[in-house]
Amino acid sequence: MNDAFGIINFEDQGIRIEGLMDYRPVSAISFLGRYRVIDFVLSNMVNSGIDQIQVYFKEKPRSLIEHLGNGRHYNINSKRGWLHLLGMESTIHSEVYNHDVNTFTQNLHLIQDINKPYVVIAPSYMVYSLDYSQVLKAHLENNADVTVVYKNVDNANEAFSGCDTLSFDGSKRITRMEPNRGKYKIRNISLECYVMSKKMLIELVQLAAKTSSLFRLKDMIADVLSEYNIIGYRFSGYVACLNSLSAYYNASMELISYPKAKELFKSDWPIYTRTNDSPPTVYGEGGQVEGSMVSNGCLIEGSVIHSVIGRNVVIKQGAVIKDSVLLPGCFIGKKVALNKVIVDKKALIHHIKKLEGTSTEPVYVKNRDRI
Amino acid sequence: MVRNNMVAMILAGGRGTRLLELTNKVAKPAVYYGGKYRIIDFPLSNCANSGIDVVGVLTQYESILLNSYVALGSRWGLDANDSGVYVLPPREKSEGFGLYRGTADAITQNIDFVDQMEAQYVLILSGDHIYKMDYELMLRFHRENNADATIAVLEVPMREAKRFGIMECDESSRIIAFEEKPPKPKSNLASMGIYIFNWPMLKKALLEDAKNHYSSHDFGKNIIPNYLNSEKKLYAYRFKGYWKDVGTIDSLWEANMDLLKNDNQLDIQDPDWKIYTEDNASTPHFVGANGSVLRSLINQGSLIDGKVTGSVLFSNVTIKEGATVSDSVLMPGVVVESGAKVTRAIVAERVRIGANARVGHANSEEIILAAKNVKDGEKYE
Repeated sequence: MNDAFGIINFEDQGIRIEGLMDYRPVSAISFLGRYRVIDFVLSNMVNSGIDQIQVYFKEKPRSLIEHLGNGRHYNINSKRGWLHLLGMESTIHSEVYNHDVNTFTQNLHLIQDINKPYVVIAPSYMVYSLDYSQVLKAHLENNADVTVVYKNVDNANEAFSGCDTLSFDGSKRITRMEPNRGKYKIRNISLECYVMSKKMLIELVQLAAKTSSLFRLKDMIADVLSEYNIIGYRFSGYVACLNSLSAYYNASMELISYPKAKELFKSDWPIYTRTNDSPPTVYGEGGQVEGSMVSNGCLIEGSVIHSVIGRNVVIKQGAVIKDSVLLPGCFIGKKVALNKVIVDKKALIHHIKKLEGTSTEPVYVKNRDRI
Repeated sequence: MVRNNMVAMILAGGRGTRLLELTNKVAKPAVYYGGKYRIIDFPLSNCANSGIDVVGVLTQYESILLNSYVALGSRWGLDANDSGVYVLPPREKSEGFGLYRGTADAITQNIDFVDQMEAQYVLILSGDHIYKMDYELMLRFHRENNADATIAVLEVPMREAKRFGIMECDESSRIIAFEEKPPKPKSNLASMGIYIFNWPMLKKALLEDAKNHYSSHDFGKNIIPNYLNSEKKLYAYRFKGYWKDVGTIDSLWEANMDLLKNDNQLDIQDPDWKIYTEDNASTPHFVGANGSVLRSLINQGSLIDGKVTGSVLFSNVTIKEGATVSDSVLMPGVVVESGAKVTRAIVAERVRIGANARVGHANSEEIILAAKNVKDGEKYE
């Protein structure tokens, strides 16, 4: 895979994870206790042999910068490999202009400088484990101009809202791309992962800028389907699309189950993240846990049922955590009962003894809040 | 180095014979402890947290794993420009090849290394002790006393004093006598095997000792008594806190169980004095629908669908449905099949305990070590 570099794209305007996104981009949101959302796509790239990677962000990069650092913990060769964080040089007041094509245009000279013929472009909010070197291989075999990774799903009416759906001409060639409006169950959902030559990317970006100042890369690709050979690559593994708070919540709940988690975490496909050097988790007197996923560094003295517990979380005696997601560093006081709640990082719940949400609308507790 | 002019030298050559199969292929400092660590992580993390940037690790017995483990100094943050962990096994020299003949000889054979670092002080540590200590404070004490050497000591119960090297001190903490394992101890200040020496003087003493054919080239037996005989200024630095030299399967088990006590003094949870170690890319641990965990320490990557009580689980341990693990230590990658019972045992790395097997016994006098796979239905007590 030495022929490709990677671009991790930021999420477009349609994606809104309420609350969690007030503090950081989707890529930097904590996921499954020990990870950040970006760890999955980044590990996919590194495990596929890509070690020159550009990560784009739109705004609030602090927590992303902190997490990624120089990229060493992602197993990137420290001399030949690199990880570069690139932002919007100048954001425009009207949000509709702040899209990927605009950012790529501003950084086009940097893309041009990379001495690799191919590029893999993927956003971080689609979570899956995939070997991109297989996609590039198929791309070359098919003699494609652009290869789009997709998954045939049977729940497009409930999930993947707003994602692109793909139609084919009877072969692998894509003939139509349109947004998923949730009318049908079975749909081919684009994972917004594109493989193409560097030359093609530059051409598409320049063409998009000329065609419409609101065109994103995906709009441009949809616009040239008849002129170019644009091919689908079918992926059939587990995919979580984190495009709303409830999608984030549902994916967390789903992956608590070990067989499900095994579809994402494969033994030969490590998911790298920044280590926090946390000690193993302590189960104290009264600690009782079932059907849950628990990170290191916690102290558990209460009950935890069917929940995701982040690093360094403290749960005191008599507390009952059910169907909830606790982000790293939060503190749950004695006899607090949480049901279907997402607690953001370092929040303290002590005085309010009961919080209850629903599966479609889990309660969200703010970052560093005290309640 | 710039910061305190002190180089640490960790003696990590010991085998630890009484740890049985656990040290067949690895030296004692590389033995697993505390759900996540190897014993040598403690002195190495102490160095990193005390602002010591250069650490030499003297290895000898079965050192392939240990050498490759410590060589990656970034694990402990010891990888800045002026910093590093250097593996120093015995090597061929112009005067021939010699194994390290004793703790002092190990340093003598690496005089060039300490000289090259231009160190003013050298801190001698043991690679197989479990404790947290700020060596910077000990160095400050050493400087304040204008000492030639400082030895860290621990108050032990009087009845146990005969198992240690015992220091006798005056009111100013200056050491006036030292006895190795005395039958009738005169004090209860035990040497922890942690020394700070002024390097130029130690270098001279080591070179003299090397010429003495009757010497065992050992710090406790030769160098310290020689210092005292020649009226050098030796001071005892009192350490308070958890310290353990785990020599046997029983004491290794006990040290692990200590971590489950509410008031355990080691406090590996302290965010200001983290113990650093290798990070493996495993997931958080899963507790399945049939799993339950009580009073235990669980590392990432484990899958628990059975009952775990009063135990320490390292990474990637699997406990299947219907299995019971109590008062035990399970090292990385252990699999306990369904219906198996593990009680008062240490299970070594990657060992599989077969379905319905029995390992250990609730009323056993000694802790059992399962170092090999236990077959389905087998009893291993």
